[in-house]
Amino acid sequence: MDFKKINKNKFYINWFKNAWTYVVGAVLLSVFQIVTLATTGNPWGVSGPFANWGAWIYRAIGGNVDKWYYFSSEGAQATLNGGFLNDPGSIRNIGIIFGALMATLLASQFKIKKIKSKKQVVAAVLGGLLMGYGARLGFGCNIGALYSGIASLSLSGWVFGVFLFLGAMVGSKLLVKFFM
Amino acid sequence: MKEVMLDCLGEACPVPLVKTQNKLNELAVGDVLIVQIDHSCAMKNVPEWARKEGHNVEIEEVDDGEWEVVIEKVK
Repeated sequence: MDFKKINKNKFYINWFKNAWTYVVGAVLLSVFQIVTLATTGNPWGVSGPFANWGAWIYRAIGGNVDKWYYFSSEGAQATLNGGFLNDPGSIRNIGIIFGALMATLLASQFKIKKIKSKKQVVAAVLGGLLMGYGARLGFGCNIGALYSGIASLSLSGWVFGVFLFLGAMVGSKLLVKFFM
Repeated sequence: MKEVMLDCLGEACPVPLVKTQNKLNELAVGDVLIVQIDHSCAMKNVPEWARKEGHNVEIEEVDDGEWEVVIEKVK
C-alpha cells in the first residue's frame, strides 16, 4: 500500500479524516454506556474520578481527605484506598484522553494552539473552576448527571438538562459580550 | 472585489462563527472573506451557516489542524 496516497483513500477519509455523524456518535455512546453499566455496575461519569485524582494528589503530598464530607462515605473511602488502577472511572478517563489524542493524530489534525489573549486564560481558569465545583455540588456533570441520569430514567437528569440549557444561554451572552 | 482575511486562530466556538457573520455583513456582494480557523467545530459550523445563507464556500486544509474557509458573498 502506498502511504503517500492514503489521504486520497476513501476508507481513510470516511473513517479517520471526516467527523462521524451525530447519529453514529449517539449510537456508539449508547452502546458503550450500556457496556459500562453492565461491567462496572455504575453508570458512566466523567468528573467524579477527577475529584478522586485531586484527593490522591493531595494525599501524595501529605494531605488527608478522610474527614472531608465529600469523601467521608464508605464507598468513597474504598475507591480512594483501592487506588487509581482499581477505579474504572479513572481508567476510562485516561482512555478518553488517549482516544481523543489518537483520533486527532490519525486525522493528522493535531495542533498545539496558541493562547491569543489573557482574557482566554482568565475565562478558561474561571470556567474550569466553576464547572468542576458545580459538577461536584450537583453530583455529576453533563455526563454523570444529565446523560446517565436520563438514561437511568431519573427525573433529576431532565431537571439538570433544563438548567444546563439556561446556563448555556447566559454563558453565550457573556461570551459574545467579552470575546467579540 | 476585495479579499479580506479574518484571523480566528486560537478561537473556540462560537467565536469564529459570530466573527464571520459580523465581518461578512460589512462586505459587499462579490467580495471574498477568508476565515482562518484551527478549531474543528468551526470547520463545520462556519461553512454550514455560510452555505445556508446561499454563499459560495470552499474549505482548504492548509496545515495539520488548520483550515481556511473561503466564502464568496453572493447576495
